[in-house]
Amino acid sequence: MTRPVAIAGAGYCAVARSLEQSAGRLTVDACRAALADAGLTAKDVDGIATYPGGGDSVSSFYAAESLGVPKLNWFEDLFGWMPAGITPVIAAAEAVANGGCDVALAFRTVKRPHGRPPPGIGFGARVGGDMQFRAPFGDSMTSSWLAMWARRHMHEFGTTEEHLGHVAITSRHHASMNPVAPLREEITLDDYFASRMITTPFRLLDCDFPVDGGGAVVITTLERARAMAKPPVVVAGGVFATGPRPDWDQWDDLTHMASKYAGDRLWERTGMSAADLDVAELYDGFSWLSLCWLEDLGVCAKGDGGPYFASGKARVGGGRVPVNTHGGSMSGGRLHAISHVIECVKQLRGECGDRQVAGAEVGTVTAGGGIMGGALLLTADR
Amino acid sequence: MAGDRPLPQPDEDTAFFWNGCRENKLLILRCNDCGTYIHLPKPGCWSCGGTDLAPAPVSGRGVVHTYTVNHTPLPGFDAPYAIVLVELEEQKGLRLVTNLVDVGPDAVEIGTPVEVVFEQVSDDVTLPLFRRRKDGAA
Repeated sequence: MTRPVAIAGAGYCAVARSLEQSAGRLTVDACRAALADAGLTAKDVDGIATYPGGGDSVSSFYAAESLGVPKLNWFEDLFGWMPAGITPVIAAAEAVANGGCDVALAFRTVKRPHGRPPPGIGFGARVGGDMQFRAPFGDSMTSSWLAMWARRHMHEFGTTEEHLGHVAITSRHHASMNPVAPLREEITLDDYFASRMITTPFRLLDCDFPVDGGGAVVITTLERARAMAKPPVVVAGGVFATGPRPDWDQWDDLTHMASKYAGDRLWERTGMSAADLDVAELYDGFSWLSLCWLEDLGVCAKGDGGPYFASGKARVGGGRVPVNTHGGSMSGGRLHAISHVIECVKQLRGECGDRQVAGAEVGTVTAGGGIMGGALLLTADR
Repeated sequence: MAGDRPLPQPDEDTAFFWNGCRENKLLILRCNDCGTYIHLPKPGCWSCGGTDLAPAPVSGRGVVHTYTVNHTPLPGFDAPYAIVLVELEEQKGLRLVTNLVDVGPDAVEIGTPVEVVFEQVSDDVTLPLFRRRKDGAA
């Protein structure tokens, strides 16, 4: 059995640089907000999925018990390398489509360890696993891994630091119109170049902004969603992808990420193309990632992502497909793309006020970078 | 480089690599069925699925494929320092993460021809680092 599926509700808990609330409290707040948006309560829920894989959140069972869900017919806790924010959304959509459950919550909560962060992955006297080939050379952070991919892209396609700066400026411009975004003050190229270098070519303003927070969506059948409080947003497709060599160093071509495979697969599965898109919420753990996603989805030609941002085409009102209309992770906070899902839902319902993309009917949400990626295609109920 | 950098903990699949470095030999796992080099070491060949694999010596010659200059302080490293990804000449896409011993962080360039040089950093660990190749040939 395969049933058409829709997102019926979406909501955030508090999102800020640092919050007192526990990961459990944030999860309950986000799930209750999403349920209220759909006009439902926890009594209506029979499925839950989440990614607690970073040790920064709570499990499906913890959420179910805290929310007062009577009984789960389907649940999934996801771990490991994956596009963390949208994986539970895609998993829940598939479970509903297949009849595993009828009303599912998909959430991603991020509660950061406060105090000084650990110095990258693989520190300690001795390092095993894959990191034994990276950590001894000071290559212990995802920022340095992806910086090397970005550098290769710059080398082959002429992408510049100024192009990356325009990704940051665009992000902040959109965030200035999003009351939920923690960073809302517009920035200039001078601000960008003045921000401290992290690992070349990435400056501080190329990085996402670590926050405490989270979000959730309610997924159900399209038929049920049509009777709920808000207009349904149809899940037209959801895919995961990696490439033939899922390794950060041995990856075949560092100028494209798993985004290439995810993009190809998304269009193959949905029968649609980049020409159908009205809005794109593209994962931006670092500036270059959303630029690369944009190219690999086919919104612009390979290598033209930098000029696309620099010429203002990624802005609401500026080009055919605006990017990260909520400010993305760079200005909206690092919520592993659950915020991108929520923003896309709101855009397709026409709820975004000053940052609304006029007449938006088709949107994509992507998550992940480097060796793993996932993409969702959402549409209005047409 | 400063001391106290993290050191490798070899396992059953990777010990040959670090043992080779201790003897100043760069060894890369190779598939006896199809000849493909396999790095990082895995129990099967990514190209043909074969499991008849053995370490094979490589030239240690390559070029800088890409790099980043890290400005973030990490224990054991004096920032800023360059992390480079060297592509070995034996096979397209066969790459090692490493550091350059004779090129400062401001002078690293993609395409620079390099060769391996071994640096003992503890009683039992020798790291494969790289230096600019004197012959200059790419």
